[in-house]
Amino acid sequence: MNLRWYHFALWALFILVMALIPELVSKGTLRIIIFANFLAIFAISWDVLSGRTGYISFGHPFLIGIGAYTSAILTKRFDVPIEYAIPAAVLMTMVGGIIVFLPALRIKGSYFALVTLAFMELIYQLVQVVRPDLTGGTRGMSGIETLTRGAVNGYYLSASLMVVVALSMWLLMRTQLGTALSAIGMNEESVRGSGLSTTRLKLFAFLTSAFVAGLGGAFYVHYLGSIAPRALFDINFLFTIIVAALIGGASTIIGPVIGAFFLTFLLEYLRPYLPGAERYFIYGMIALVLYMYEPKGLIQLFSNAWNSLFSRRESAGNQNSDQAGKQSDAL
Amino acid sequence: MKTALEIENLVKRFGGLVATDNLSFHIEQGQSVGLIGPNGAGKTTVFAQIMGEHLQTSGTIRLYGKDIGSDSTPERIRKGVSRTYQVPRPFTDMTVLENIRVGQMPNSIWQMIKSKPQYEKEVELALSVGFSKTDLHKPPGELSMGDLRKLEMARTIATGSSVMLLDEVFAGLTVAEIAQIGALIQQMHKDGMTFLIVSHDLKALEPLVDSVIAINYGAKIAEGNFNDVMDNDNVRSSYLGAA
Repeated sequence: MNLRWYHFALWALFILVMALIPELVSKGTLRIIIFANFLAIFAISWDVLSGRTGYISFGHPFLIGIGAYTSAILTKRFDVPIEYAIPAAVLMTMVGGIIVFLPALRIKGSYFALVTLAFMELIYQLVQVVRPDLTGGTRGMSGIETLTRGAVNGYYLSASLMVVVALSMWLLMRTQLGTALSAIGMNEESVRGSGLSTTRLKLFAFLTSAFVAGLGGAFYVHYLGSIAPRALFDINFLFTIIVAALIGGASTIIGPVIGAFFLTFLLEYLRPYLPGAERYFIYGMIALVLYMYEPKGLIQLFSNAWNSLFSRRESAGNQNSDQAGKQSDAL
Repeated sequence: MKTALEIENLVKRFGGLVATDNLSFHIEQGQSVGLIGPNGAGKTTVFAQIMGEHLQTSGTIRLYGKDIGSDSTPERIRKGVSRTYQVPRPFTDMTVLENIRVGQMPNSIWQMIKSKPQYEKEVELALSVGFSKTDLHKPPGELSMGDLRKLEMARTIATGSSVMLLDEVFAGLTVAEIAQIGALIQQMHKDGMTFLIVSHDLKALEPLVDSVIAINYGAKIAEGNFNDVMDNDNVRSSYLGAA
């Protein structure tokens, strides 16, 4: 897995900073960070699937929605305890993941993206029409049982969940499995030609992505205490997830976390100046400029800075030629 | 001697077009056989059927005596037969070593997570096909056509297969690169690898093969040692037009 000292150092630093944040910032900022945490989880979920395998999902709200609605309905309408409702929601989302996986057996590229977009539209219509007594129809649901009270507790819950998801996905993607999934994104035929079953690999990527999306969706709904289909199955929400992953650096796990925080704060700080949808114009511009300048995202900018700080010392201490190669996947 | 690959009455139709016409041949273990024929003779289609990329209309394909005609491509590769492509298809954002790693991986999710990459073996394999130490961390974009061929062969060898199908290995290579790849194939042949080689460069092919099969319109027109097949009237007219 090639873990090196600075990996431990950076993760320790990251966890420390996340733990100290409530001491340092106001309640209002904390609520913004809570949203960033959930966005980071959704962006990681997108990244595990689309960032790696190149099967671009435009339907992630579909998966998140299954997780959120399942848990909300189970707790509110059937009085199922939260600790059973959330695992059930995650399982349901994984079933949803299999549904999204099926078209991926036959189609790829933009066609696949369009099919997943259709899934999102489909569930948006379905939750409004089918059994509105359960789903709350167009108005959604409120008064859903929450897990925490207050911004600080909400923060700790969301931050712990995000850190656990990020760390476990990061470790998982550093194994040979991560390499194989990335290889699918570069040339799926060559992966088959290397004797690996791409069907099995893709299924795993979809299930893992759905697992994370379901987990995030279920916890999110029990943080908010309400659910609104118009906000959930929304193209802006979808693009915020995708842009967070891309702006931070796709197929890196940490990139989407950075991207999620960057985007959330950008949108929040623009709010006083541009209260309406114009904000999305600004963030579109920033995404575009960043993409032209550094398509590998913010994480690559950090990684470059890190390398220029430390590479001189490392190469002096170690003449081994594979050092250069390992440097590049430092983050 | 054991038969490595056995093709029997293979037929492939694309609509009205007969791409493979009742083709039968077999390759003994450790043998190197050339598959030649004019453009459009159906050589690549034969490869695609052996690998399971196209399903044959009828006929059987046996590897070491076992029918593999209905297996998926990855299954066939794990059973010991793999191919290279006319146009190399590397993983563009990976280094040479990582490309080889994909070929070497176990085909099981759990094993992929659990087992570590066999770094020494990757390096050994890369060096054995003729990469220099400085190339190991280069992305394919910085490699020459000859190096891309080597990379493709290394990844194919990494799958552990003992029968290799090489499709136009010399296309687009310089004279020096042809000599290099040729020497590599001869060395592997000596070490016991079984080959089926498609090439238009007959001069480069000659020293690499024990025998040659010539096909035209998907049907076998001649088989035997290199010179006999070259002298065969059917083969000559298929390449040059009817005399």
